[in-house]
Amino acid sequence: MATFELYRRSTIGMCLTETLDEMVQSGTLSPELAIQVLVQFDKSMTEALETQVKSKVTIKDALFKNEDSQENVGRVKIVACDSKLLTQ
Amino acid sequence: MATSTSSVYVSVIEDVVSKVRDEFINNGPGEDVLKELQGIWETKMMQAGVVNNPIERSGAAKTTPGGPITAVHDLNVPYEGTEEYETPTADMLFPPTPLQTPIQTPLPGTADIYNIPTGPTDYPASGNDNGGSTGGPGVGNAEPKSGRPSPYMQPPSPWMSQRTPLDVNIAYVEGRDEVDRGTSHQSPTQDFFTMPSGKRKREELPPQYQASGFVPQQDGAGDTTPEVFEIEIIGGSTSYGRRGNSEMLEPVLRSSSKIPQLDGPIPDPYDDVLSTPNIYNYQGVYNEDYNIANTPAPNDLPASTPAIPAPDDVGEDDDDEPPLNENDDDDLDDVDQGEELNTQHLVLAQFDKVTRTKSRWKCTLKDGIMHINNKDILFNKVFLLKFCQIYCRQQGNSISDLPKKYPFCQSCGGGWPKTSRSRGVSGVW
Repeated sequence: MATFELYRRSTIGMCLTETLDEMVQSGTLSPELAIQVLVQFDKSMTEALETQVKSKVTIKDALFKNEDSQENVGRVKIVACDSKLLTQ
Repeated sequence: MATSTSSVYVSVIEDVVSKVRDEFINNGPGEDVLKELQGIWETKMMQAGVVNNPIERSGAAKTTPGGPITAVHDLNVPYEGTEEYETPTADMLFPPTPLQTPIQTPLPGTADIYNIPTGPTDYPASGNDNGGSTGGPGVGNAEPKSGRPSPYMQPPSPWMSQRTPLDVNIAYVEGRDEVDRGTSHQSPTQDFFTMPSGKRKREELPPQYQASGFVPQQDGAGDTTPEVFEIEIIGGSTSYGRRGNSEMLEPVLRSSSKIPQLDGPIPDPYDDVLSTPNIYNYQGVYNEDYNIANTPAPNDLPASTPAIPAPDDVGEDDDDEPPLNENDDDDLDDVDQGEELNTQHLVLAQFDKVTRTKSRWKCTLKDGIMHINNKDILFNKVFLLKFCQIYCRQQGNSISDLPKKYPFCQSCGGGWPKTSRSRGVSGVW
């Protein structure tokens, strides 16, 4: 299953990356294994978003709105990968 | 919402851990390291505030029935079976204390790899593991707990206190194309070319300016150079901010966009090639469909079409204004280079469809994570993004000139679909 690595930049992904970094640097973990964990994270995160998340959000300009909240931000960066790449 | 985000995160963590467990046990350093990994990971998540402590605890409770008492009890298990428990009857006299001493003895020698400052709970864990090979069934109770730092013991870890709030931009900085852009902008050649652009506002420009001074800026346009613009896609009151003495310079700026460029060649090919993908060439009337080719996200097009910013395009859309020099695009570059790096709000997603007509972008995103206002929001679908601000800047409009009703862009505001104007958010803009 193809996965995107972009979720590694999310909070959860950064936390995992930092953790793996620390463990690899301390010698607890081999880099290869750390990469395996990351790849597994890619899969799990993608799957979780597909299966567990049902919420919808609208973005108008910089206003983010879903069912129970809305956020207004000055500037937002959006990184998106083509979803069709996964199905190829 | 936060709860669901948190629970999804917890489930992802558990999923990852369970799926790599075999790898850890068979080829790797063992399950305890995995537990440690999970522990640190979860702790970081709690520190980042995206995982609720109660949920995380309950998730842990699933695998770890029992509290610290069990851990203390399990500490003794390996040694009961082997040497220490059988030997002295004095153990019966001083039950807890002597029992722990033999455990701590092998620690420094054998448990080096476990010696990670995650908190005191690691010691029972590693001690347990040292004797675990000969341990009885009781070891199993302790194992899921090992390496998982107790939330009540967070402060001791030095890295936790040093930890800065999670910065979603770290990876962005390390991104390849961003690095490319950043370095290219530092090149001396680049400095050379920045001179003639009257409307360029870049932070690093003033030093270059004073240092080289090839082109004497006498036309007034250069006065604005020290300013740094922040272009924001905005829903609220603030539309765009700028640094420096913006208030005083605002008239100058506005006029500068209309001052004919007498000071040299306008085009700045390096900027355009390097950091202005053609997506910013907003004036095109044509409709683009980004779904045909397997293009990466628009942001990932570092050196696509040079996007010669055809001034006639500008005139086409706005006849009553003098054609602007294409250096307006550089305002975008500034955003890319300087300001966007500081953007705390990040959306990571997959896109289904991206189309644009003139300045209107429509995107359908799915399966995404948003990091907005320090909150993590997961979503399944996002509709309708509109980016109008940049277009507005290209029109030379100051945002403050625009009516409050359309804080973004007068010109393209008329083109916005009525549905989106009437739908929701009326209180905001």
